Amino acid sequence: MMKQFNIVGKDIPRTDAPTKARGAALYTDDMKLPGMLHGRLLRSPLPHALIKNIDTSRAASLPGVKCVITAEDTPKIKYGNWRLFPDTQDEYPLAVDKVRFIGDELAAVAAVDKDTAEEALELIKVEYEELPGVFDVDSASRPGAPIIHYYCPNNISVNRKIKYGDVDKGFSESDYVREDTFTVHAVSHAYLEPCSALAQVDLDGRITLWTSTQVPYIVQCLLASTLGMRENDIRVIKPFIGGGFGGKMELRTWEVCAALMAKKTGRPVKFTLSREEEFLAGRRRHPMKIHSKVGFKKDGTLVAKDLKIQLDGGAYNAMGPTATFLCGNFGAMLYRYPNYRFHGEHIYTNKPPASAMRGFGAPQSLYATEIQMNIAAEELGIDPVDLRLKNAQVSGDKIPDVATISSCGFVDSIKAVADMSGWKEKRKSLKPGQGIGIGCYSFISGGVFNWFNTQYPFSAAEIRAFSDGTVHLLTMASDIGQGSDTVLKQILAEELGLAMEDIRITSADTSMTPQADLGSWGSRVTLMAGNAVLDAARKIKEHLFGAVSARFNLNVIHELECKNGRVQSKVKADYGTSFGEAVAMVQKANRGEPLVARGSYTPRDKGLVTPAFGFGAQVAEVEVDKETGLVNVKQMWTAHDCGTVINPRSVEGQLAGSIQMGLGYALSEQLVMEGGNTLNTNFADYKMPMATDMPPSKVVHVDTYEPEGPMGAKEAGEGLASPTAPAISDAVYHATGYRCKDLPITPEKILQALEKEE
Amino acid sequence: MRLPKFEYFAPKSLEAALSLLSEQKEGAHVLAGGTDIIVKMNHGRLKPKALIALEAIMGLKGIRFHAQGGLTIGATARLAEVAFHSDIVTHYPAVAHAAQVMANVGVRNMGTVAGNLCNAAPSADTAPPLIAMNAEVTLASLKGERRLPLDQFFEGPGLTAMEPGEIMTSISVPFPPSQSGGSYKRISARCGVDIAAVGVGVMVILDGKTCREARIVLGAVAPVPMRAAKAESLMQGQEWTQKLIHEVADQAAQEAKPISDVRASAEYRRKMVAVLTRRALEEAHERASKQ
Repeated sequence: MMKQFNIVGKDIPRTDAPTKARGAALYTDDMKLPGMLHGRLLRSPLPHALIKNIDTSRAASLPGVKCVITAEDTPKIKYGNWRLFPDTQDEYPLAVDKVRFIGDELAAVAAVDKDTAEEALELIKVEYEELPGVFDVDSASRPGAPIIHYYCPNNISVNRKIKYGDVDKGFSESDYVREDTFTVHAVSHAYLEPCSALAQVDLDGRITLWTSTQVPYIVQCLLASTLGMRENDIRVIKPFIGGGFGGKMELRTWEVCAALMAKKTGRPVKFTLSREEEFLAGRRRHPMKIHSKVGFKKDGTLVAKDLKIQLDGGAYNAMGPTATFLCGNFGAMLYRYPNYRFHGEHIYTNKPPASAMRGFGAPQSLYATEIQMNIAAEELGIDPVDLRLKNAQVSGDKIPDVATISSCGFVDSIKAVADMSGWKEKRKSLKPGQGIGIGCYSFISGGVFNWFNTQYPFSAAEIRAFSDGTVHLLTMASDIGQGSDTVLKQILAEELGLAMEDIRITSADTSMTPQADLGSWGSRVTLMAGNAVLDAARKIKEHLFGAVSARFNLNVIHELECKNGRVQSKVKADYGTSFGEAVAMVQKANRGEPLVARGSYTPRDKGLVTPAFGFGAQVAEVEVDKETGLVNVKQMWTAHDCGTVINPRSVEGQLAGSIQMGLGYALSEQLVMEGGNTLNTNFADYKMPMATDMPPSKVVHVDTYEPEGPMGAKEAGEGLASPTAPAISDAVYHATGYRCKDLPITPEKILQALEKEE
Repeated sequence: MRLPKFEYFAPKSLEAALSLLSEQKEGAHVLAGGTDIIVKMNHGRLKPKALIALEAIMGLKGIRFHAQGGLTIGATARLAEVAFHSDIVTHYPAVAHAAQVMANVGVRNMGTVAGNLCNAAPSADTAPPLIAMNAEVTLASLKGERRLPLDQFFEGPGLTAMEPGEIMTSISVPFPPSQSGGSYKRISARCGVDIAAVGVGVMVILDGKTCREARIVLGAVAPVPMRAAKAESLMQGQEWTQKLIHEVADQAAQEAKPISDVRASAEYRRKMVAVLTRRALEEAHERASKQ
């Protein structure tokens, strides 16, 4: 299966690395424009209240303040990413009539400097009528609970059901049925670059917005509709981004305010959030209450699964609808369930909205799946590795209503990780306090369901070829730090037989790069934008091949190739020219017309979930201090299948980042909340693991080739975010006997469990 | 947050610093490494009228050690200097350890022991081992100098026995008695960089198999770093046994007055006092036995 590559599969250094290492990369907050104003947002101190009056007069008259706005100054048009279902669009840029969480934005100030804007906020007088708040899914979904959105009287904004086979019959035919309830908590994306947006109005009234976003195209469209403007009147430029992890994939208040206030004042306006604001009011991973019932045959064969998940969505939908859909799909993506039923509910509460976060519902759903597999393995007397091998999805399996799995290295991953970790002996023979555990994952390589209702291809690319032997790649795909600019250049260099330095790239500028790209989320970019680049590159090649064929009077049966900077006959390299000369020939044949090609990709005939699936398995070894309850993760082993590895170093970076996030999710990170208020709004008390907390890690990339992916590649960015928490949790159980069903695993919970045991 | 307007002084002598402090009166703050003060100012929790930096005063720099006189840590000696100072590592390993594990590299490179004490956080890492080792602080004012045992220095979170117009100029720790050993143990959720959820500093002085004296100091489990007096007295003159250590550790836990906050619950903190006290005593005993 392995194809021979020159540039793909190599540790090509990231093209942005030197710039970032030198501190020369410009992020949005680094930008300064002449006359620029600084914006700050007034946030609600109450979790649920009616706004009786907002008096901004004192703030507006503070010297240095140039603009103060409330909802009254906006067109009051709601927005939300699920454009296909306008009912789900539930957010105003500034609160209208009502605030729904602590941190909900009510007003914005733009002033000559940040301090003046901050001072002005204190001068805004708001009269509230406080309403009772609800802070968990149980109290929010109870009859008679306070209504958070009038359109949604039961606070359940999304209902999602999946059903195939006959679940009840499945359970009655099972030898062993297991039922558990899991709760998982909210964690922060904690991207190192807080959100920032800078808007400028052109002389003709059009807006340019530089913003820290994963989704320039979505921001462009929604900003236009929210301000009552036309899409083409908005230009969104994505500068360098310091991480997103799902937290920057919607239109956000400060983007609207910056644009609106720039229009009102005629001056550029910049907003940058503080870390405290990010923790207090920022998006986060959905807390979920997961009820899972599974049935097995005596020999470990899975028969049925009944999954009910309630998502604590916080005050607005944000990307909650997608998470609600996907956590149901993830519930049956890893193993073969002949009978499956899912019911997901997205529930409003008076907390900061949860949204997409690395894994998009998978870390939660798979935590339950994997822990339950381990419980079942123990009770059935089967090794957890063997139980997984027995039920693992394999290539060709059809997941009803989802898709048929094409490439699948899951079984190989399980075997490889068991082998490299010494699973069989260690599971039997570790000392007290030491443990080893396993967790697995499956993930999507981009989504199919067109909730944004775009009229454009999902990804697009334009290639301009030049007679000096270089090309210019234009794509709306967004490098947010994950390295897509490098990977797309690698794919293009490989296909055109060029070197990395022959390629210039312009990405993620909505007025310059081809329409469209849905953004960097769902692990979609390598596959979708990669395919678009390949599509365009092949069109370029056709032109070049034609010219070279004519020049050397080649028989039509000659196959040509682009290789080592040349365009030549595959069998007789003498019949060929340099890439640049070939471009010049095409141009001459077209009377000077530049050689340009467009390519695109939209998944079709791939069901409604994803065109390709990634898989993997991970083993963690831990040592637990049984007196303090502290967990030391000693080693991680990972074997995974992301198809062709385009850039090994980047994939290993994704793995390291996933382990870091998984470590925090399992053991240390949580937003400590009291009555809707977040108490730990800084990195001292939000316990994100540091470099010094990272365990050593070994990895095997299982060799597969995904036919739908560019050069065989599929996702590597998010799937790996799922297995770490269940692997650590299972290892903690192995070490202590404490089975965690409510994340995070804290020292206190471990000690309580140990005391109970005694 | 806008930094409040303030005057900045960097006097070159202690006398000048003391004069400035008395001239500026309330609203003037003394600045050593700034790792607490500047953060508080950035968050609007402190609005000083004047900052008097000690950095330029030569006499307050550095660490001095003599086998007779013991250890003197100047007010502007950095935590990082303390952490790896060879005499401190050899003779006061508990103090060195506290300075090695607290906060993060950046804070340790700027912050000072004096600042850590004057900030008077209940969780201040350097306080428990220093109190356990009988440290005293020297407080200077225009009226002269006074020395105060460190265990009488703390009066509440952020509150100390310092009078207006006083500056802490140094911390003195006597040379450890023979057959003595110290230890500092702390616990926090994250191993790399964190604030202690519980810290315990101890010193024991042995007489053969008997414990002549023990000092047990608990951090982050009361409004001030506190001595567990009853636990200490349980050990005095007693033969060193595992059973005794367990009783003492439990007693220390009884004496702690922890609260629940975002870092840990009161219940957990109390349990950890017992565990850390026992571990610290064991390590201190081992060190004392080697002497």
